[in-house]
Amino acid sequence: MLPLPSCAVSFPETIEQALELLSRPGARVVAGGTDLLPNLKRGLGRPSALVSLARLSGLDAVARDEHELRVGARVTLAELARSSLLPASVRYAASLIASPQIRNVATIGGNLLLDTRCVYVNQSPLWREGLGHCLKADGTECHVVPTGKRCVAAASADLPPILVALGASVRVASKDGVRTIPVERLFSNDGAAPIALGPAELLVEVVIPRAPGTSSAYRKLRVRKAIDFPLLGVAVAVDAEGGLVRALRVVASCIGATPRKVSGLDSIAVGKPLDDATIEAVAERCHGALHPQTNIAADVGWRRAMIPLLVTEALHDVRDAVRTRGGDDGTA
Amino acid sequence: MQRLCTLNVNGETRTLAIEETDTLVDVLRDRLGLTGTKVGCDEGDCGACTVLIDGRPVLSCLTLALSVEGRAIETIEGVARDGRLHPLQEAFDAHGAAQCGFCTPGMILSAKALLEENQDPTADEIRHALSGNLCRCTGYGRIVEAVQIAAKRPAR
Amino acid sequence: MKIVGTSKPRVDGAAKVTGQARYADDLALPRMLHARILRSPHAHARIVAIDLAPARATPGVLAAIVGEDLPVAYGILPWTEDEYPLAIGRALYVGDGVAAVAAIDERTAIAACAAVRVEWEKLPAVLSPAEALAHPEIKVNEHAKDGNVSKQVDLSFGPVDENLERAAAVIEGEFHFEGTTHAALEPHCAVASWEPRGELTVWSSTQVPHYLHRALAKVLQLPEDRIRVVQPAVGGAFGGKSEPFDLEFCAAKLSMLTGRPVKIRYTREEVFYAHRGRHPMHMRFRTAADAEGKLLAVDSSILIDGGAHSSFGLVTTYYSGQLLGAPYELPAYRFHSTRVFTNKPACGPKRGHGSVQPRFAIECQLDELAERLEIDPIELRRRNAMGSDETTINGQRVGSNGFLQCLDAVERASGWKEKFGKLPRGRGLGVAGSTYISGTAYPIYPNEMPQSGVSVKLDRSGQVLVTSGVSEIGQGVETVLAYIAVEELGCELAAVRVITGDTLLCPVDLGAYSSRVTFMAGTAAIEACRAMRAHLVEAAAKALECDPSEIELAGGRASARGRELSFREVARLAESAKGTLVTAGGYRTRKVGGEYRGGSIGASPAYSFTAHVAEVSVDERSGVVTVENIWVAHDCGRALHPIHVMGQMEGSAYMGFGEALMESHTFHANGLHRGPSLLDYKLPTTLDTPAVHASIVEANEPGGPYGAKEVGEGPLHPSIPAIANAIHDAVGIRLRALPFSPDRVRAALLAKGGG
Ligand SMILES: Cc1cc2nc3c(=O)[nH]c(=O)nc-3n(C[C@H](O)[C@H](O)[C@H](O)COP(=O)(O)OP(=O)(O)OC[C@H]3O[C@@H](n4cnc5c(N)ncnc54)[C@H](O)[C@@H]3O)c2cc1C
Ligand code: SF4
Ligand code: FES
Ligand code: FES
Repeated sequence: MLPLPSCAVSFPETIEQALELLSRPGARVVAGGTDLLPNLKRGLGRPSALVSLARLSGLDAVARDEHELRVGARVTLAELARSSLLPASVRYAASLIASPQIRNVATIGGNLLLDTRCVYVNQSPLWREGLGHCLKADGTECHVVPTGKRCVAAASADLPPILVALGASVRVASKDGVRTIPVERLFSNDGAAPIALGPAELLVEVVIPRAPGTSSAYRKLRVRKAIDFPLLGVAVAVDAEGGLVRALRVVASCIGATPRKVSGLDSIAVGKPLDDATIEAVAERCHGALHPQTNIAADVGWRRAMIPLLVTEALHDVRDAVRTRGGDDGTA
Repeated sequence: MQRLCTLNVNGETRTLAIEETDTLVDVLRDRLGLTGTKVGCDEGDCGACTVLIDGRPVLSCLTLALSVEGRAIETIEGVARDGRLHPLQEAFDAHGAAQCGFCTPGMILSAKALLEENQDPTADEIRHALSGNLCRCTGYGRIVEAVQIAAKRPAR
Repeated sequence: MKIVGTSKPRVDGAAKVTGQARYADDLALPRMLHARILRSPHAHARIVAIDLAPARATPGVLAAIVGEDLPVAYGILPWTEDEYPLAIGRALYVGDGVAAVAAIDERTAIAACAAVRVEWEKLPAVLSPAEALAHPEIKVNEHAKDGNVSKQVDLSFGPVDENLERAAAVIEGEFHFEGTTHAALEPHCAVASWEPRGELTVWSSTQVPHYLHRALAKVLQLPEDRIRVVQPAVGGAFGGKSEPFDLEFCAAKLSMLTGRPVKIRYTREEVFYAHRGRHPMHMRFRTAADAEGKLLAVDSSILIDGGAHSSFGLVTTYYSGQLLGAPYELPAYRFHSTRVFTNKPACGPKRGHGSVQPRFAIECQLDELAERLEIDPIELRRRNAMGSDETTINGQRVGSNGFLQCLDAVERASGWKEKFGKLPRGRGLGVAGSTYISGTAYPIYPNEMPQSGVSVKLDRSGQVLVTSGVSEIGQGVETVLAYIAVEELGCELAAVRVITGDTLLCPVDLGAYSSRVTFMAGTAAIEACRAMRAHLVEAAAKALECDPSEIELAGGRASARGRELSFREVARLAESAKGTLVTAGGYRTRKVGGEYRGGSIGASPAYSFTAHVAEVSVDERSGVVTVENIWVAHDCGRALHPIHVMGQMEGSAYMGFGEALMESHTFHANGLHRGPSLLDYKLPTTLDTPAVHASIVEANEPGGPYGAKEVGEGPLHPSIPAIANAIHDAVGIRLRALPFSPDRVRAALLAKGGG
């Protein structure tokens, strides 16, 4: 038995109630609980209270209008994977996460706000005591970058790369109202406090712009074909017109504490057809720009070598769409 | 802190005082005597603790018991009805899909949820549906076949 | 045969599919306490001081103990009793138990454990065999006679050097096996109850109730006649539950101290620390053959990483060499194996104990020989196959031998002739063969008593009770025993009840290890049932007024000359005539093995044989290997229950596949396990596991029950080398270190200038 720490658990039915409960110091949101509970069982985090979203009404729908797709924070990964309203790349990424049982309860909100991971911290208290505690949990040093002062635990969720690539944003509620921030800016560069939200804020919705002309794809590297977190996740989104690239974004996870958007791709790809030469140049640039750390349990050299491969595969996935009609509008 | 909790398990309603952060698997096994639900890891990695909540497979080791008040919880003990085995149970038994039997309750529940949605799944669909249930004994082949055999039988 | 050879549902099947089967953790006794074991966070450290007071002061705590409370050393082999239930003075690996606390519930026990104050003095640790040999002054196990050497074996048979000299081809290479663990889905659990009359009962998820019984008596210093060990349903074992563990002693001691039942269940992390899994081995092999591919000599040198305790290590060290004498005729053979203590959890027996690692090496070298000599790899193996009723160079007598049929079967089923060497680049086929024992000739502690006992009771109800101390761990032994009762007595399957694994109620059987169960308990059961059968036949003959030889017992009836009696009637007649009906049977091994020191280790009454063909595809850019198909053919003598036999073959192939591609039980330089969880230790899922195609080969074994031999472990052996050889066929690289992870595959491809 790995007991959860004892604390109060409440089940607000409205967002207002939830925000009220969250305003108490040390309160934590639990949505699907599939990230938070394993962490708490391992002594990572000591909430004073848990605020469960299980009985909240709303935040559980996927809606579409002319301009955007809106996904409630409580929509489960299983629902995402099934929803015909969403871009195929998002559905695909959701379908690769964890296991069927987990996808039935895990939420899009929880996935975006997943805690960062590191082989030295996602361990039992006994194990961490043996190693010596680190910056992310009760300690003062980092076992990955011993000279560093900042935790580089890895952003390991599957959805952020594709949502960043698609230019999605989130709506966040607090007692002061609702604000909208790009998913890109949801993350801090500090693996020990990776989410740039206030403790009393509630993520309520994910907004994905509808961009006819954008094609996107996701590729995940892992050991097993189910259950496993990514060793590397690569998302691409390409805006095209008349067969030529207008904008091209590559976003990768499992590199550092935030999903990494590769810069400098415009000068390589914009105005060009998405042919082998362009793809190769983009892959090359990504290879040069992304440096995985040793805190994921797979050979780091191999992970790095896989970057251009995954980028190339993802770009191949969208190549036909780019060539023929400029893109998809996010429907499958 | 303790709190009263009312659970609907296999059609029976039970009220008991639990720790607020007790997980469903601990309440089922240690408090309600429903020991058919197994614990292989207690942290979401193996699927042995799979139960159905409103017909969908979830991991009871990662579920707060309080969060499923008012929902229909089905455990392996509720699968056989009126003293008769479910076709999946018969097929698992006849086809050698259970060796040590420790993964079996979770497997059967995941498979049951699949068959409710898809009466005639392909082997590939079965493998996807069972991909969160580890089995260390069988190599899975007989489990997949047992699900196919059960699917071909008329549901009762 | 009436039932043998058919596949009825297992006798424990209905309980398992309904969730009614009771495993150790499903037991709850009135007033039961829960205990937890506090473990060392350090790989090697002196316990300077340990203060239980804060734990004892925690409300709800009833007792707490430390190593000194259980000061008697034990070990599964009487020659190497080198462990204590809880560390005394020094912790030897991360996870070594140092204290145990019993409380009213588990949450309280955990909190109390956390309150125990331990003052540690960290000591230098040795984490690899090379380090351990270089630093004998850092002594891991105080019981070791010579530095950190756990066991050394040097054996040589035939003219090894001469044959190496005259060989047309000698393949030389180094192989590395990193170590893997059983990861049975059920974590270990024990419940102990000390009863007022001075009797101790321990329910445990063990596969060796008898050895646990003995060890409990020794460590707790109780007479054996006051102890009962009960093994409930076990959720998989694979060798990982074949020794006593700290939890059984601690639960028992805490129950004796409190007078209340005590349960201890391992977390998944603790299972990794209990380990006893497959030993890491570093192996240097030379394999020599003449121009026709006939083997001339094998010469090996193996360094074995044992972890902190001996476990079965003495046997492992022998097995690393002794089990290579078949299935090929070897005119000369030498091995030099050294097992070394290190500051890690002890290694022990995992499915295919001691011989899976060297089998990997030798089968890969046979493939290289075939390539060098331009002989088809299956043909090369055929040319070298030994026949039946032969003795190996190291003195092991092989009785029945279906190895050639196994090769034929996988060759045919896999389409080998059309595919080997002819598939497009990136896709390939590989073959490997192996042999394994059906039980060991000698028990773990020397004695002249039967290795397996079975009793049969029948009464006027017509119900048959078969009991044996043997362990049902999922392999289906209860069904086998029931089958034998049906076969011999002619009753219906439903009329047979089987009780196993209870040292009070059942005659002694040594347990589920070394693939001995069906062979030995099956033979004992036949003897017991035949004695019972004689009573029935006699009673039935009298009632039906015929000669006993005319009686047919089948289908729940006795019949002769067109007249019949129900089984129940026959039972009543027999009980009337003979009195209470109880019969017994026992299995003893005849003397086998070579006439030299160690010559009996690896000697078995019978040997099983296996061949695999694996088909893989290799993505050369990523290095990812996908196993598409595994064909496995296994000679199990006679398949008493074909579905169970195939289940063992499939499960073995699956387990070997996992070891080949993704499983890795390894440690950081500070002795911390790299991933003690089922997330980080990779058990293949439904989506990773290839289709396994099993074919049964039956080379009747005269010494086995109805001709049966083992099937539980043998079929694992060829899976790893078959995959390695298939990777070579696909992309031309030879992998000699496990697992064949994509980074290694890719590195090998790059080194070769491919990829
Ligand atoms: C065995 C296993 C395998 C896994 N594999 C993968 C994988 O392959 N890929 C992957 O991406 N993830 C994986 N996960 C992690 C996890 O299951 C998913 O990321 C999931 O989407 C998390 O969602 P949740 O609703 O369960 O989050 P929770 O655990 O409920 O929450 C996660 C975090 O987000 C916060 N939070 C949640 N919702 C809100 C909200 N609305 N407002 C504010 N804060 C909120 C919580 O406080 C918590 O800090 C795995 C987990 C397990 C146990
Ligand atoms: S990256 Fe460094 S600080 Fe962050 S969790 Fe890992 S070891 Fe700790
Ligand atoms: S026990 Fe819940 S997933 Fe393993
Ligand atoms: S039957 Fe043993 S784990 Fe599946």
